[in-house]
Amino acid sequence: MIKRLKNFILGLFDVYCREFRLVISDAGIILFFSFLPLVYPIIYSLIYNPELVKEVAVVVVDNDRTPLSRELVRNFNACDQAWVKGYAANLDEARRAMAGKDCFAILEIPEGMEKKVGRGETAPAVLYCDMTLLLRYRGFLVAATNVMTSMGSELLTQKIDEVAPLAETVVSGDLLDIENINMGNIRGGFDTFIMPGVIILILQQCIILACGMAGGAKRERRRLTGYNSDNMARSILATMLGQALCYLTILALPIFFMIHYVPLIFSFPMAGNTLEEVALILPLFLASVGLGFSFQAFVTEREAVFVNWVVTSLIFLFLSGLIWPIYAMPQPWKTLSALCPATWGVEGFVKMNANGSSLAQVSNDYINLWILTIFWWIVAYCVQRWVVRPALRREVKAGFQGPDLG
Amino acid sequence: MALNAPNNPSFRKVSLDRGFRAIFLRSVIQIVRRPLMWIGFLGLPLFLFLFFPSMMDEGLPTRIPAAIVDRDGTQLSRQITQMLGGMQMVEIAQTPQSYTEARHAMQRGEIYGFFLIPEEFQADLLAGRSPSISFYTNTTFFVPASLLFKTFKATAVYTKAGVAVDVVQSVGVDPQTASPLLQPINIQSRGIGNPTLNYGIYLANSFIPCALQLMILLMTVFSLGQEIKYATSRRLLRMADGSIVKALFAKLLPQTIIWMVLALFMAVWLFKYNHYTMQGSWGWIILSELMFVLACQGMALFIFGLLPNLRLSLSASALLGILTFSLAAFSFPEESMYTAISPLAWLTPVRYNFLIYSDIALNGNPVYYARVWFAAYIVYMIIPFTDMYRIRREFREAVYVP
Repeated sequence: MIKRLKNFILGLFDVYCREFRLVISDAGIILFFSFLPLVYPIIYSLIYNPELVKEVAVVVVDNDRTPLSRELVRNFNACDQAWVKGYAANLDEARRAMAGKDCFAILEIPEGMEKKVGRGETAPAVLYCDMTLLLRYRGFLVAATNVMTSMGSELLTQKIDEVAPLAETVVSGDLLDIENINMGNIRGGFDTFIMPGVIILILQQCIILACGMAGGAKRERRRLTGYNSDNMARSILATMLGQALCYLTILALPIFFMIHYVPLIFSFPMAGNTLEEVALILPLFLASVGLGFSFQAFVTEREAVFVNWVVTSLIFLFLSGLIWPIYAMPQPWKTLSALCPATWGVEGFVKMNANGSSLAQVSNDYINLWILTIFWWIVAYCVQRWVVRPALRREVKAGFQGPDLG
Repeated sequence: MALNAPNNPSFRKVSLDRGFRAIFLRSVIQIVRRPLMWIGFLGLPLFLFLFFPSMMDEGLPTRIPAAIVDRDGTQLSRQITQMLGGMQMVEIAQTPQSYTEARHAMQRGEIYGFFLIPEEFQADLLAGRSPSISFYTNTTFFVPASLLFKTFKATAVYTKAGVAVDVVQSVGVDPQTASPLLQPINIQSRGIGNPTLNYGIYLANSFIPCALQLMILLMTVFSLGQEIKYATSRRLLRMADGSIVKALFAKLLPQTIIWMVLALFMAVWLFKYNHYTMQGSWGWIILSELMFVLACQGMALFIFGLLPNLRLSLSASALLGILTFSLAAFSFPEESMYTAISPLAWLTPVRYNFLIYSDIALNGNPVYYARVWFAAYIVYMIIPFTDMYRIRREFREAVYVP
């Protein structure tokens, strides 16, 4: 028993050391291990770093041309989100401006607005918005609401004063204060919203791509170059553990860079405890390695990972619930989402990082990550035992040969 | 010449034949007999087509879990609670007793936001002490938070209006006169082409073509790189009588056909089957999709010409293709990006596909406004000819370096 344990550990260590040499001498895998975690988050953050969409162009069609309509336009222009680029004579002219992308919304003020307001009727102005990008629309919506409420309460106080001078004694100043507070992502910035989640996705994809490419390399190397780069202990589990430990050693610093320094550089919220975040990343790492080992079944040559796996980043991004909340997904996608390590990783990490949750508060995500780790390692064991190893053995028998492309 | 099934023994003989048709057939066979090609050409693209519209089936997430903290406990505060509970977007999942409790629920991810009515709310209000109601949204989760914000804000504004009516009434104005005063200024927002704010329309129309572009880039580069990797490129050139244009054209034509069929299917799937907004002419959209495929292939060829090495060009295509999802400004507008980054938005063909979609399908503009985007496609079809000589050189001399 003790001897078997000793052999297990020796085998594990052997695999660990040899895997190190294999990885270091493989430019493709090194690219995944360095470029993906170190450069990608920076590029991504830079794209979205302006955070807010400000001063989007609006063209005004003012059919009223009264002090009130001008005040409305002035107030609209004063909003952070909108910029009144100019006036158009009529809706046709404004539409042409919008079609030519000179503006992204048209504010049409109806004729006789001031009169109607004076009579105590409502006269709705219409804001036609371009719906190509929702961020622009959202900005316009916020601006319109702000103008409506601020001008509205001003006029309301005036009116109350007019129709019922006594009311002034009841209400002094604002009737009721409405306060809105953003939690986590305080400015409501786009970069702060998307990046912490994307960091976790990049980590998962980096691990899986590297595992896939390492597997592909082992399978094709003998076939192409005659060089036997197999790295196997007798025990499959020892082999898998050895390789996983090797990747963990290499990725330890990049992981720390991603979860600590990237938020630091771009001043994303860092409300979480870094040590607790590392604790959350560990099962994410292991589960991703398990998924990566399972994925090796589909990788017959190194470059196949690009064709097979790169585009899945998109699928994982949406399954993670970062953009479209999980509770609103149809059931099949919910199930699939639960099987992805990144889903729980993203949710847990984002809550810790932005909302300052403790590990205990995200225990649901944390436990699920460990369950996924066990699940994917069992799948990986089966794949290694019944798919990958037999395939490697076949390659040995076939010997060195190039495939036939015709 | 016989049309060969993959395992037909006469395959080798045919493959040694020369000419356009032989290369074309060889290329078809290369695609048909590898499962990897099936995944790349059909499996993944079709899965992605299905994925986005089906995930965003609802259009917008409704019934967002939220909480209300009622510290007042009066008739008025209960009215507010009821009003909020009746809103379509909100599901009052909890009624915590304090701010701290609500914040903890948010930290655990059970709710996306909460509405707080302070102590002595009604009393302060009636006494004219101007109390404040506040609402908190977890902007870390952008979409649910934005929708919650809208609902919370509306609830707060309605509450205020109701209070105002009460006040005016209390000094003797009849409510009929009072109610139009509540919102004298009204700005109605009309989303052109997407009035219900359907997230699928917004997302699928940009992300699906972008995914298609990524797959075209990867598969084109992959299939060309394979020729070098397995040292079959010389045979390919021989079959094309030494002409690289002929070789590439014949080799890529079967792929072009596959991609064009997929792109047309994509248009039908989005606009016909999912009924996404289509206000313009089908002719231009179809032309756009077909040119888009050629442009993507052109771009892939250009990349392969720059880096005629399987792994490098695949890495570059993957990098560019994935970054394009962010760079092409589908969510964050190009004009708001840093000056140094915004030109990169115009780097890949999908940007023009997106603009044509926006101009013609979503907004129903005349094609005049999309003329530049169509011209841009043509540029992508021309640029590969500038570095094709490099592919030729590599095809002749290449040695695969793992």
